[in-house]
Amino acid sequence: MPYSDSPSPVAPLPSSRLWTASTTGGVAVVIMLLLAAARPDMAMWLLAGAALVGVVTWLGSRPTAGSTAQEPGVMTVVPTADGEDARLLEAVFEALDDPIMIVSGGEADDIAGRRIVLANSAARDLLRIPREGGLLVSAMRDPGVLEAVDEALFGGVSRTTDYTAAGSRERHWKAWVRPLAGNRGGRPTAILGLRDETDVRRMELMRVDFLANASHELRTPLASLSGFIETLKGHARDDMVARDRFLDIMATQANRMSRLVADLLSLSRIELNEHIPPSGRVDVARAASDVVDAVSVLSQEKGVTVLLDTPPGEARITGDRDEIVQVIQNLTDNAIKYSPVGGMVELTIRGDLDADAAGAARLPGATRLSLLTPDRDPGARYVAVAVRDHGPGMQREHLPRLTERFYRVEGQKSGDRPGTGLGLAIVKHIVNRHRGGLVVESIPGEGTVLVAYFPQPAALSVVGHATLNAA
Amino acid sequence: MNQHTVKAYGDELNQLTAEVARMGGLAEAQVADAVESVARRDIALARAVVERDSKLDAMHRDIEKKAIRLIALRQPVASDLRKTLSAMKLATDLERTGDLAKNIAKRALSLAETEPMQPLTRSIERMGKLVSMRLRDVLDAYTASEIDRAMAVWASDDEVDEHYNALFRELLTYMMGDPRTISACTHLLFMAKNLERIGDHATNIAEVIHYEITGDEMTGERPRWQPSPGDWDADFSGPTPPAN
Repeated sequence: MPYSDSPSPVAPLPSSRLWTASTTGGVAVVIMLLLAAARPDMAMWLLAGAALVGVVTWLGSRPTAGSTAQEPGVMTVVPTADGEDARLLEAVFEALDDPIMIVSGGEADDIAGRRIVLANSAARDLLRIPREGGLLVSAMRDPGVLEAVDEALFGGVSRTTDYTAAGSRERHWKAWVRPLAGNRGGRPTAILGLRDETDVRRMELMRVDFLANASHELRTPLASLSGFIETLKGHARDDMVARDRFLDIMATQANRMSRLVADLLSLSRIELNEHIPPSGRVDVARAASDVVDAVSVLSQEKGVTVLLDTPPGEARITGDRDEIVQVIQNLTDNAIKYSPVGGMVELTIRGDLDADAAGAARLPGATRLSLLTPDRDPGARYVAVAVRDHGPGMQREHLPRLTERFYRVEGQKSGDRPGTGLGLAIVKHIVNRHRGGLVVESIPGEGTVLVAYFPQPAALSVVGHATLNAA
Repeated sequence: MNQHTVKAYGDELNQLTAEVARMGGLAEAQVADAVESVARRDIALARAVVERDSKLDAMHRDIEKKAIRLIALRQPVASDLRKTLSAMKLATDLERTGDLAKNIAKRALSLAETEPMQPLTRSIERMGKLVSMRLRDVLDAYTASEIDRAMAVWASDDEVDEHYNALFRELLTYMMGDPRTISACTHLLFMAKNLERIGDHATNIAEVIHYEITGDEMTGERPRWQPSPGDWDADFSGPTPPAN
């Protein structure tokens, strides 16, 4: 076994040990007494030796300071810790919110010698390491962190370094390493901790992005507003008909600006929460029927029929209700916008699908692209929401860029209520937060299907995770 | 993992995988930093990437030497032999990945001298993130010996290709619109190509992992989109033209 030489991180009770200093002493005393009986000529010396060993053993086995400090494999932070304190420390270590690991090193040039000997539950969950530890480099490959650990182990220097975990939900960590005083079987040890700084970084990025996006996108309606104001102040001052028409256009532009600001704000908020998994429960079927009610005004205006097809019973997922409603709403809005007058939009909800079935092709012969794929979890079941329109469809080259902010497919008109260009970006971020997936399929001239799928809170996936940890 | 009668043999094998994992970490960081140096116009970071590449080369040589030594002295068979061979293959792929990252960083240096091209560098950044993720996934699969994860990377390479094709079109539109941007756009185009090839190396690594764990070669075609003749506009031939 690869990790057989690592001791368990659970500190055993000193009393549970069969082979302690006192038993060793006891056996020595018994042997000396037996020898004394067998060799009466040396009995004097042997009896004296037995008495000496007995006294030393008794003194040593009393619960005095430092009696547990020499136990190999037991992490002792406070020298006076007896069994109870050690267990308390262990519990505190486990309960810490930040991932913390104790690392030990062998030879300086042997990368396989650096092992995680102890990791708290936060670290085990994050890095997917088994309870009894493992190779450091299997869990953490970042060269900056490895270097910092080396310096702490072999140079005795504390270091702090930045560490970014790439992924669909990028996280930024501050990694700190401090050398530990106690050697572990002659190997130097160090403590490695990670502090989550994702929020701070995101705030920074968000401010920059918001400014850039908002100023760029607000410029156009603002320019048109000021143009009309100038015209109204100038030669159109007394033209009643023109004034009314201009005021209408100005109202539309102002509306567009306020929608844009609202969308930008909601996008920023969702991005900020993206790495925090949602905790509520949502029935997708009910959310969808609420959305159908909400869009009825818009759909009647355009003469578009919205057909809702839900499975019998509930389609529950773990999620934030408002956000799920927003996903379905944005997808349905889009579908209605791109539908021809008198067209049809089909909203289909299916539960209990595995990842492959949830992302499977729905339109035969369509070009198809996964815009977002969830991390692979073999046991996970998904609820899929598919929204299909019979609009103009899209060419393949547009598909990868659909979820970009402000990306618009050229030559397509979304009617008289132009979108903000943020709808699908918002959808993607919400789906990503829910650890779901997003697939688009389109046939030019025939229509588009967008499928968002969300993981169900099934007991199955929990079991899958547990066996993975135990393996 | 099997136990070896000679403990040093097992140690050497473990060390080989550990070295490959470390090299993977460095290659990953090189790619991420190279992309970041493009996005942030960070000259110092780009220079650091170029300099660090020699470290990757040294690691590659070291792993190769160790693997050859292990084959010569221990004559590994079955899974041990596969493990040794795949360490060598992975090291080669990772070294190539590092070279491509270095090339991106070099181009970032010359890009930093021209005007910023925000929307385009953003597209590069997006593609870079995607490729970094693939690389991370496949290396995670290697350290954890998870064949499913490796296969997921193998099957999803067309996503990277899609990004590359979209970026190609975007760049072409830019260059046709304003010929002054041609030199900068060419750099960006090569960056995109390099990223696409890093993605290919990630799928290569996935294939090697499959071989290491199962002993079978990967067979069958990757799910890949084949352009039909009408899909490409007549006036510009696509980045991956149909086989001719």
